[in-house]
Formats: sequence, structure tokens, C-alpha cells
Amino acid sequence: MITSRRDFLKTAAFSGASLLIGFDGSRLLGAVQTNAANSFALNSWIRIDGDGLVTLTIGKCEMGQGVRTSLAMILAEELEADWTNIQLIQAKPSPGSDLGTGGSDSIQSSWKPLREAGAAAREMLVAAAAARWNVDSKTCSASGGGVVHLPSNRRLEYGSLVRDAAKLSVPENPRLKNASDFNIVGKPTYRIDGPDIVSGRARYGIDVKVPGMLYSSLERPPFAGAKPKGMQKEKARAVRGVRSIIHLPRGVAIVADNTWAAIKGRQALAVEWDDPPNNAFDSDEHWKRLEAAAGETGFITREEKASPGTATVTKTFDAIYRYPFYAHAPVETMNCVADVRGNRCTIWAPTQAPERLQNQVARLLGIAPTNVDVNITLIGGGFGRRLGVDYALEAADISRSAKAPVQLLWSRADDMKCGHFQAASVHYLVAGFDAEGKPVSWKHTKAGSFHNISPLDPKEMRDTAWYQDWSWGCYDVPYAFPTIQTAYVPVDLAVKHGPWRSVFAPSSVFARECFIDEVAQGCKADPLAFRLEMLKGADVIKAGRTTIDRRRLRRVIETVRDKSGWGSPINDGRGRGVACNAYFGHTYIAYVVDVRLNQDNNVHVERVVAAVDCGRVVNPIGVEQQVEGGIIWGISSALKGEITFRGGAAQQSTFADFAVARMRDTPAIEVHIIGADAERPFGMGEPPVPPIVPAIANAVFALTGRRIRSLPIRPEQLKEPA
Amino acid sequence: MSKFDLTVNGVRRAVEADDDTPLLWLLRDNLGLTGTKFGCGVGVCGACTILENGKALRACQVPASAAASRSFVTIEGLSPDVSHPCQSAWLAEEVAQCGYCQAGMIMTACALLQENPNPGDEQIDRVMSDSVCRCGTYPRMRKAIRRAAQEISSKTQ
Repeated sequence: MITSRRDFLKTAAFSGASLLIGFDGSRLLGAVQTNAANSFALNSWIRIDGDGLVTLTIGKCEMGQGVRTSLAMILAEELEADWTNIQLIQAKPSPGSDLGTGGSDSIQSSWKPLREAGAAAREMLVAAAAARWNVDSKTCSASGGGVVHLPSNRRLEYGSLVRDAAKLSVPENPRLKNASDFNIVGKPTYRIDGPDIVSGRARYGIDVKVPGMLYSSLERPPFAGAKPKGMQKEKARAVRGVRSIIHLPRGVAIVADNTWAAIKGRQALAVEWDDPPNNAFDSDEHWKRLEAAAGETGFITREEKASPGTATVTKTFDAIYRYPFYAHAPVETMNCVADVRGNRCTIWAPTQAPERLQNQVARLLGIAPTNVDVNITLIGGGFGRRLGVDYALEAADISRSAKAPVQLLWSRADDMKCGHFQAASVHYLVAGFDAEGKPVSWKHTKAGSFHNISPLDPKEMRDTAWYQDWSWGCYDVPYAFPTIQTAYVPVDLAVKHGPWRSVFAPSSVFARECFIDEVAQGCKADPLAFRLEMLKGADVIKAGRTTIDRRRLRRVIETVRDKSGWGSPINDGRGRGVACNAYFGHTYIAYVVDVRLNQDNNVHVERVVAAVDCGRVVNPIGVEQQVEGGIIWGISSALKGEITFRGGAAQQSTFADFAVARMRDTPAIEVHIIGADAERPFGMGEPPVPPIVPAIANAVFALTGRRIRSLPIRPEQLKEPA
Repeated sequence: MSKFDLTVNGVRRAVEADDDTPLLWLLRDNLGLTGTKFGCGVGVCGACTILENGKALRACQVPASAAASRSFVTIEGLSPDVSHPCQSAWLAEEVAQCGYCQAGMIMTACALLQENPNPGDEQIDRVMSDSVCRCGTYPRMRKAIRRAAQEISSKTQ
């Protein structure tokens, strides 16, 4: 629902000695009350105080993607603000708001509204200055937080103009700056919150303390439906500082005076749970179901048939790829402070989904969502995990029983075992070629599972577009096969599963980009040149709702080819691989990866050359950071831990048995940003993840001659001769 | 419950806690020094790393009874104005993403540079690999440690 321009820039108001411009967040949602008295209920606003301080209230949460900095940059650019005099405030959910942060959406959805809001404020301040001087506003210009009258070189700071500016009406169509005049957007810019982070002042969810707060640890059922057989209540109560033991549908909670007492109390409680039933979830059994499903027809998500007369297939390649379960494992474990008092509840939570949290807590407590006050803290790693709100529901439930504000903190084992997982999937791919070796057909069937962590709208149409959403990276295959069929086969999955960094793309892109490598090998072609060849034909193609610009994809591939020295001999004992992806047709990334084997036969990624086209670049440092982080994330999933299930429970519980990449696993990384002068920016949090794993796997093939069709890559896989 | 005296960031503090309470929770819950983070509670992630006499230790692994009478430095005590060479290098290299693990990383790097003001890449990798950053800030961390080492050596020359 896109509102009219009139609804978009909500109001200018004089509030104390400030100019206030409210606008409806980043997604241009519908009606919000717009009178000055409740401007603060808007999702986002700009406030300029009499002392010149610019305050930007943003809805997007910061979890390491640098959004507080990049959004402030966009605003400051159009406002011509003094970059050193900007502060950020986190918005709270309110009726009609949509503050969810995910899907690499923040930059692209905030770009236009933030620019328009900044430009509107700038025009009002310029008009106020021109009126003060009694000159034509065309002879005035804004820069560095002030307005200059160019002929006389007089200057007024914004702070001295806010009183007058607030009396003006908000311009209907503020003029946006030309990109050639940008002096903040596109410039490497340090994180606005950097000093807070390196001084320990940055406050995450776990750092929240409120008066009278108690501390809680929750023992959860090890598998769905498990009931406690017994527990040592007396021993738990004997732990000094333990206040109460609370039975909840979600488990048994210890409430205590401090964190350590809660942890010790839970240990002393030593809950014994039912034995799991024979049919409890087991990942080995699940793999069999997935493999069987991958042979079914499923829901056809894309079907393109070659025109009649096209040559028939005389040679086929096929392969099955398996993508495992993973945990998110952010270093800050799940936590939440909840304070339930009568029909009101206050929440402090590191959350990516504040409205979902608000609504679900309200439903749990039987109160109105407007009575749930949600404070969004800094997030110590999101990765999609904090789109789930389970930990907030637990905290609210415990606070209600404890009749006190309570901080719930998950242990590392809780976090590894009780989160929602990246769901496993199996991919069946077939490519057909004619007698002359020309490509004829491509088929990719994904058997997997949609999220089950949030109740889905029952009205949702389960149409082709819906199933396409389960298989990004599958239906949007960019390669030019005359016949294309992609399909999705849904498979029930009993354990909690939901969004993980890059959501559905990593599994499908792993399968697609490794398989295209196999096909290139089968055609005796260079895998990089083969990709470029297969990206010829129409420059722009439509796949479902996605538009793919093959020129942009070719350009990132050509860049990594040229920058990596692709095709030139590499050192002994090294293998080189390539992969690419167009994320939603928005952000295009290609990697060339060099690997070697350590003495213990473990794969080591030595070097990664990346080319990224994410459209207009707001903060080049931020883009580089996300590429680096995405590569490290991919190294974890290619080479480190996976989650397996027995008896309904995840078997891993620590960073030892679910290993993640460490500094010693870090390659040399080169990032080449191209296309940065495009009209609009696209997100960078997720796109770097999907193509890195197949690039590593393809490099391992180049080195060892062994195709990697399951993850993570284990030394044992590489020992036997190819 | 016992009373313990310990010195944190140069200030003598008295806390009351059970003997087995990890120093991590004394810092965070009793003393309100939340810059030191919880990540695993078993000494494998490094998020709670602090300093004692310039050496790194994991605050989750030191019980209160053993912490008594000792003197520790946490991230809050490194400098009043983010001017410690590791802090300034961290900012100059724009290391942090979510930032949660970074206090532990910075303290680990401080201890490394205290022990060896000019560590080689291999030593940097080895020492820093005892800590986890899930955002993947390792490439910039490496650069920041080299930068801090340079700054320290230029100051001492």
C-alpha cells in the first residue's frame, strides 16, 4: 500500500524550540495520525533543535549491518547537515508501523523517503533564512548545517532557523540533490556508533537493567511435547538467591536475584524429561524423506518451453545436492527483559521483528498490543534469528508469574538447541544438451520446508509466487537454457525452522552454482567462461517476480575473472573456483576463491576475490564489511559446523561441536565494488552469503577432482581417490 | 555468601556474592560493568575476556573466591576517551559490525600486544582464534592489531 505524496511527509511542527518533520518510516505505509500533538507516535521523524543538533529516529534495528550509519548518511546528504552533529534514536512499534528489519531491505526501502524528508527540511530552512534576510531563496544554499546567502556570504545556522522554519508548510515536492553533488553518500564513512562499541558503552539486550529486575533461566523441553518426569525442587530452592520455580507451558523457569543464582538453580533443579518417542525427529530419517521428495514433481515455480523445432536432448547431466541444518549462533544469546504489570507490559529486547513481538506478547497476555511497550535494543548478531519472538514470549510469561520485571537469558546450549534452524533441503538438478553440445534444458527441483516459527496468514494464497518464495536461487536461475523447469516440493519438518542469513537462497544457490560447474566440466568448458556464455541472449529476463539484468551479472563475473588472474596458472596445491548470484535481481555478486588443503586434509580458503554490484553505494566501508562478513559466514557453513537431530533434539550445544570460522580460517579478501553510480541502492546484509559456499566447493573440486554435493566439507570426503 | 574486595579499573570494589559466582557476573550484575559480555560461559568464545596485569583472562572462568584481592581491567577501564592504541586502531580500521564480541577481542589483542609488541601474522591468528566473532570481522581485526602494534612501537621509540 503506497500512500499519496501528501500522506508521506506528515507534518512540520514547532515543538519547544525544534523543527520536527515526521514521516512514515521507510515503507510508505498507510494512514497515521498527523497532527502535531502526536508527531512522536510516527515511526520516523527528523528533529532539528535550536542548538543545531539533528535527531533522526529510525525504525530499522542495528545488528551489525551499519544501518544506523547508512540511513543517517542518506538523511544528512539531502538535509546538508553537519555530519558530526547527528544523533539517532530507535523508534518503537506503534499502530500501523512496520519496523521489521530483514531481507536486506533497509537501504533500498529507506532511500527515497529519507531523501525526500531531508530535502523537505532543507527547503524549509532555506526558505526561513531567505525570509529572514528578505532575499530570494534561489540565492541561498544549504551546507554543513547552515544556510548561506551566496551574494553576501551571510550564513545562518540551522538551529537559529528552526523556529521560523516550523511555521512553514512542508513542500509537496522537495527537490532532491543531483547524485553528482553528493558529498556524504558514497564516501567511506565511519560507523556512528563505533566509539560506543570499542569503549563498552554500547548497550545490547543483555545489558538492560531496570529497577527491581529479577533474573531467570528457563529449562525447556528437549523435544516437542516432552513432559518433566521429575525435578529436584528442594535443591533448586536451596540455592541462595533463587526466588521461585515457575511451571510454564514452555518449560520450567527459575527466577532469582542474579544471573548466577538463576543458572545454578536451574542446574540444581536437574529436570528429568520424558524419553523421546521412537518417532521423534531424526535428521537421518529426514534426509531420506527429502531425497524421496526431490524426485517428485512438486509445485512448478517456473516453466519455460523451448520453441518447437529446438534440438532434442542427447546428453544429460544430473546430480543431487544436500544442504544441511545450521544454527545462527550469534554471540549474544537470546535474551529479553519483560515487565508485566496488570494489563500492561514493557519489553526490552534485541529484536528484528518488533511488531510481531508486540502482537504475540499481547496475545499471550490477553491485552491490547498498544499496551505492550517495546524497546528495541542493539542486537549482538541477528542473522534472522531475532525475527523469531520466542524468547520475548518466554520472558513475558515468566514476568507475569513472578510479578516483577525479569531478564531471561538463554545459555549457549539453549541458543544452539532451542532456536529455529536453517532447514535442510535436497536439490535434484538435470541439464540436457543436444548432439552439437548446445544447451537445451535445465531442471531444478528443491525439496525443503517453509518456516514454521510464525503463524502464517491463513488467507495467504499458496500460489506459484508463494512457492517461488521458498526457493530463491532456484526458480531465478539466470542461465539461458531454452527449456527451464524449476519446482518446489514441500516436506513437513517437525523441528522449529525459520529465517537464517539469506533465508532460502544459500541452499539453492549452492546446488545451482555447483551443478553449473559440473555441467561446464561435462562440456569440457572453463567454468567461468561457461557461465558468461550461458548469460548471453536477452540482457534482462523475468523469473517470477524477479527481474535479472544479465549485464550486471556478467560484469561482476568479468571483474573477478580479471582481478583474480583467472586462467593463469596457480601455485601447486591450490584450486580455484568461481560462483555468482543475482540476489532478487537487486545485488549481484561473483567470487573467485583459492583453496588449499591443510596437513589434516581440512580445506583452507586462502584468497577470495569478490565483485559486488549493489547499485548506488551509500557507505563503501559498509559494503566491504558485509562482503567480508558474508564470506566468513559462508566459510563457517562450507567447512565448520552443522546441526543434526536425534530423539527430537539438536545434538550440538557449544562452539566446539557447532564450530564457526575463527580468525585462522580467514582468507585474504579483495572486494571490488562496481556500478556504484547507479540510481538507487540495494541491500548488502544477505547477498554476499549464497555464492561463497559454491565458490569454495568448486575450488575444492578444481584441487581434488571431487565434487562436493553435501556440506559441510569434511576431510574424510577428500581422502578417497576421486 | 561472602564479601570480596577486588580492584576493577583501578577502583577498589566490595561485592557480596557466593564463592563460585563467576567474575563475569560480578562485573555485570554486581558492579554494572556490562561492557564485558557473556557468550558461552565455558571459556570457549572469548566474549568475556578481561585483563589482569596485562594478561588476558576469561571472566566466566574465574570464581569470586579466586578473584578476591586481585586487580582487573575491563573494556571500560582501557581508556577514558577511546584513545588506547587498540581502541583507536579498531576505529581506524572500522572493525566492528554488531560489536558484541568486540570488547573481548580488543582485550585479547591488548594482552597479545603487551606480551609481544610486534606479533607476526601467525601469532595474531593463533591468539585471536580463541575467540568467536559471528559477523566475521576477522580481516579488519587483523589489520587493526597490526596498526595498533605500529602505533605502540612508534610511541616507545
